[in-house]
Amino acid sequence: MGVILEKLPPLLDPLPGGWRMVNAIDAVVDWTRANSLWPLVYGTSCCAIEMMATGAAHNDWSRFGVEVARASPRQADLIIIAGTLVEKLAPRLATLYQQMPAPRYVIAMGSCAISGGTYYYDSYSVVKGADRIVPVDVYIPGCPPRPEALLHGILKLQEVIRRESIRHPREPRPLITVPFEDVFSATLKTWAEKEKARDAAEREARAQFKQAHPDFKGYAHKRVVKPAQPALAPTPRTSPGLAQQAIAERVRALFPAAQLFARPDAMAAEPVEFTVTPAEYLPFLRALHADAELALDFLVELTAIDWKDRFEVVVHLLSTRLGHKVFVRCALPRDAGTEIASISHLYRSADWHEREVYDLFGIRFAGHPDLRRLFLEDDFPGHPLRKDFSDPTRVVRRPY
Amino acid sequence: MIASLHSLTAAELAARYPATHPVGDWVRAHLAPAGAFTVNALIALALTTVFVSLTALFLVWMERKVCARFQLRLGPNRVGPFGLLQTLADGLKLFLKESFMPREADFFVYHLAPLIPITSSFMVFCVLPFDHNIQIADPQGGLVYLAAFLGMGVFGVLLAGWASNNKYSLLGALRSGAQMIAYEISYVLCLLLIVLASGSASTRDIVLAQQGTVLDWWLFKLPGCGALGFIIFIISSTAELHRAPFDIAEAESELTGGFHTEYSGMGFSMFFLSEYANLFVASGLGATLFLGGFLAPQFGFGPLDRALELVPGCVWFMLKVYGLVYLYMWLRWTFPRLRVDQLMSLEWKFLLPVALGNLAVAAVLVALGWLLP
Amino acid sequence: MSALESSIVLPPGFEPATDGREGEAYYLNMGPQHPSTHGVLRLVVRLDGETVLGVVPHPGYVHRGIEKMGENMSVLQYLHHTDRLDYLSSLGNSLSICLIVERALGLGVPERADYIRVILCELQRIASHMLWWGVFGMDLGAITTFFYGFRDHELITQLFEEVCGARLTLNYFRPGGVAQDVPADFLAKVQVILEQTRRSLDEYDRLLTKNVIIQERTHGIGVLPAATARSYGCSGAVLRASGVDYDVRKHDSYSIYDRFAFDVPLGRNGDCFDRYEVRMREMAQSVRILEQAVAQFPAAGPWRSKELPQYKLPAGSWFRWVEAARGAFGTFIVSDGSLKPVRIKNRSPGFSNLSVLDEIARGAKLADLVTILSSLDIVVPDIDR
Repeated sequence: MGVILEKLPPLLDPLPGGWRMVNAIDAVVDWTRANSLWPLVYGTSCCAIEMMATGAAHNDWSRFGVEVARASPRQADLIIIAGTLVEKLAPRLATLYQQMPAPRYVIAMGSCAISGGTYYYDSYSVVKGADRIVPVDVYIPGCPPRPEALLHGILKLQEVIRRESIRHPREPRPLITVPFEDVFSATLKTWAEKEKARDAAEREARAQFKQAHPDFKGYAHKRVVKPAQPALAPTPRTSPGLAQQAIAERVRALFPAAQLFARPDAMAAEPVEFTVTPAEYLPFLRALHADAELALDFLVELTAIDWKDRFEVVVHLLSTRLGHKVFVRCALPRDAGTEIASISHLYRSADWHEREVYDLFGIRFAGHPDLRRLFLEDDFPGHPLRKDFSDPTRVVRRPY
Repeated sequence: MIASLHSLTAAELAARYPATHPVGDWVRAHLAPAGAFTVNALIALALTTVFVSLTALFLVWMERKVCARFQLRLGPNRVGPFGLLQTLADGLKLFLKESFMPREADFFVYHLAPLIPITSSFMVFCVLPFDHNIQIADPQGGLVYLAAFLGMGVFGVLLAGWASNNKYSLLGALRSGAQMIAYEISYVLCLLLIVLASGSASTRDIVLAQQGTVLDWWLFKLPGCGALGFIIFIISSTAELHRAPFDIAEAESELTGGFHTEYSGMGFSMFFLSEYANLFVASGLGATLFLGGFLAPQFGFGPLDRALELVPGCVWFMLKVYGLVYLYMWLRWTFPRLRVDQLMSLEWKFLLPVALGNLAVAAVLVALGWLLP
Repeated sequence: MSALESSIVLPPGFEPATDGREGEAYYLNMGPQHPSTHGVLRLVVRLDGETVLGVVPHPGYVHRGIEKMGENMSVLQYLHHTDRLDYLSSLGNSLSICLIVERALGLGVPERADYIRVILCELQRIASHMLWWGVFGMDLGAITTFFYGFRDHELITQLFEEVCGARLTLNYFRPGGVAQDVPADFLAKVQVILEQTRRSLDEYDRLLTKNVIIQERTHGIGVLPAATARSYGCSGAVLRASGVDYDVRKHDSYSIYDRFAFDVPLGRNGDCFDRYEVRMREMAQSVRILEQAVAQFPAAGPWRSKELPQYKLPAGSWFRWVEAARGAFGTFIVSDGSLKPVRIKNRSPGFSNLSVLDEIARGAKLADLVTILSSLDIVVPDIDR
């Protein structure tokens, strides 16, 4: 129907009084479109909660007829990009946008959707602004914006829609395609110029004031006094479960090759930690897993550390029955084909943890049933949590 | 048959509740029979179209307001007084949206499907007696006609699901098909119960058979059976309407939009309208069958009864209908959704046997003549 | 296996059916934009009719690389980023880091700060569970519950705003205490919330718990045996619903949780209803803790120990976890003695809780998959980090 409407003005406008008719049609069309914005059910992170809060009883966006949130993009008019947009999701967002029938509108809610926000620097996966993917009509700053801010944004969008006319069909804004550093450095430059101009103006004003009031001594400012904060000693704490000595002895009896990791004295209350070589890794964990006395039935986490000269795989184990934890470290040579045995058959949760480590560090786990990347796209170049990872097309280094 | 059940004779009934409307009479008096028939039919068609569209828009508004109140909210209140124009804006906007279809969808079926449910609800409107003289048609087999067209709506859903070439749509359509076939049975059994009791399948006769006090309504009159029948009717018609707790065909949290996932603009608004038109139809049917239709409630208390009689029948009908509409909305905004297999076992293992037993008991009661006053 | 079946390319993560009936299954993609995946989780479901034969979750659609960012900033700068992981229990996230810094640098915490921390953490647990309750109802089709849950959530959010200036991403805890003192009418407002919570919990029970459809749809659905729960590293209500008695607050106590009397609610069967009930009872226990904390709250005193110019961790590695609303949230910091940590890793409860989905959803109906996912109570940015 929209297409037919756009053909009307050239036909009607030449007629006597035809422009009035076009104006009337405009008024009706804009009224319907502005008052019936059905949002798509779509939220990625924190902002989505505030979006839900906007729909909830306290703020109630249904007053403006926005509560008909559609789960299918075919029936939606509005995408509220609530939350961070990452590279893996970006093509999906573009698809969703294309699946919506025109006229369609986009609100970028929160600083992540505007510019990447707090993830602008150092993040290898966050898209620096949703307007690189879809044309954005209204930007709502905040982290996250309050529900009132979202309502305000919706009202602003209504204003924008009310200014539309079928004489000039709406062209979506062009996408931002410049590399992200450019946007930032240009903004910095404008800011600096503005600051400089303001400084000069203020200096001028101060000088004039001084000339006009030579006796003025200035106001006596009362400083807000922060109460003195006491230096306190920490309350000593002990680890639950078996005593560290008992665990160490038991492990020595089970697997003599495991080395007790020497910790500084300050960390006396931390759980015991053992180091093993890659070859001993699997047998050691198997022994720990099987031992009934230690009862280590719970894998807290499995992760890796990049020490630049070597990798270290770290395994944290817990006994849910007794309460003690045992940490295991295993140093690995740092080369392309770094590989270690998988323990996903011992602890099922290791399955995903190992996939994560493979994804982010590139350490392969031999015997893993399904070693795919977990978080990143399959074609993501490199492994981002390695210290030597750098990708200038994705990462903006923090300048300070 | 009616005469045997009630104190009034057929002639008395006809005199008290004339079947023809003054407007129709006037047209018939001034035109030749063929012309009068055409003109009357056109008037009826125009009125139905306007009424169905306005009712559907109003019901959508009402649903949004009612659910808002259930949910501690205000609901639409910015567009027009009390937000009354909100649904008009929504409807117009859907009308003005770009219309497209998925590339792999079946063109003909995809565009045909949304028309079927709305057609069927239009057809059903024709036999609803709004008043003793406001009814488009009163065929002798009114309920048979009604059951036939109510059952037709499911084709729209099935075809939409199939033509959309989307797994969610297909799943929704298949669920809906299974659900409609199952619940149709107990639904029709409820209709049968009323036919059995009132001795007629004409909706007007069914209403007239409920002459008397409130206790003569079929809801109360068939001892136990009527009330049970009414409950089964409400449950199975909720399922027919795809409303919560039986909205598994749309099931937003599982299937995003079910059968109408791929529909935008007009197609979607057709489904939307027919959903609410059907809501009115189901409530109207409930009012006709169980709540005395357009008859004023009588309490066997002279002055009060006469006062209530003064209110026109169509107002009573509307009051009863909106009472039932509110009941459906109440159910929808209170209950969680059933799972598809639970839905099936509720029908086949519980509702159907109960409805059958209810019908058998009612048949015995009617045969023994226990219904007679 | 027929030629046709061997030619089928399966979606990643699936193995061909062993019974030679691969041709009868079909695959349904749920998400990343789907109303019941709670954000942008993507599930690929293998279905036979309506019956789920397997689920492969694909996380990573909000993977923001927050751990990499943590390697380029000081721990104190990292603190506010953790609010955006599990934004519904943001205080728990920052608490784990504060505890690490306090342990590593030997900082003490004033008593008042400890009480403020406990009160806010428990309030946030209640708020988070209320929100979950509302969304759980909505996932099962009872949309009204969403609004009831949010009504009470909003009350707590407003108190947070008064205390910290933010509604969701609070950024309030600091190593050695909290950022600023609580307002004067803090305790009175907590009392009001407690009063309201008691009423609401009653209302929730009447509205949803006792509903026959909820009972039918959650009993015996998604049964998670205790051994499986432990093996998959589940935590929080998911673990306890399976009957495993492990609550970080109780069994690896931190802050001043050892001063309060509270029970750890346990389930028996590990099905969706147990997970539901455990969370409902947890809210009641949180109310109990809050009552005690309000009674013992020190009337005045410092809210932070002496600030350091720089929170530079000595060389070493620390792990500390806390009981966040969704389970055990841990932080692992490895430092080489410089200002920026070498590695900072967050152990998110949702990560492990979600990995069990395939195991417990097999054989359930498609609608049950939504119920199960909802009962696991995931927050996607917490999983993806």
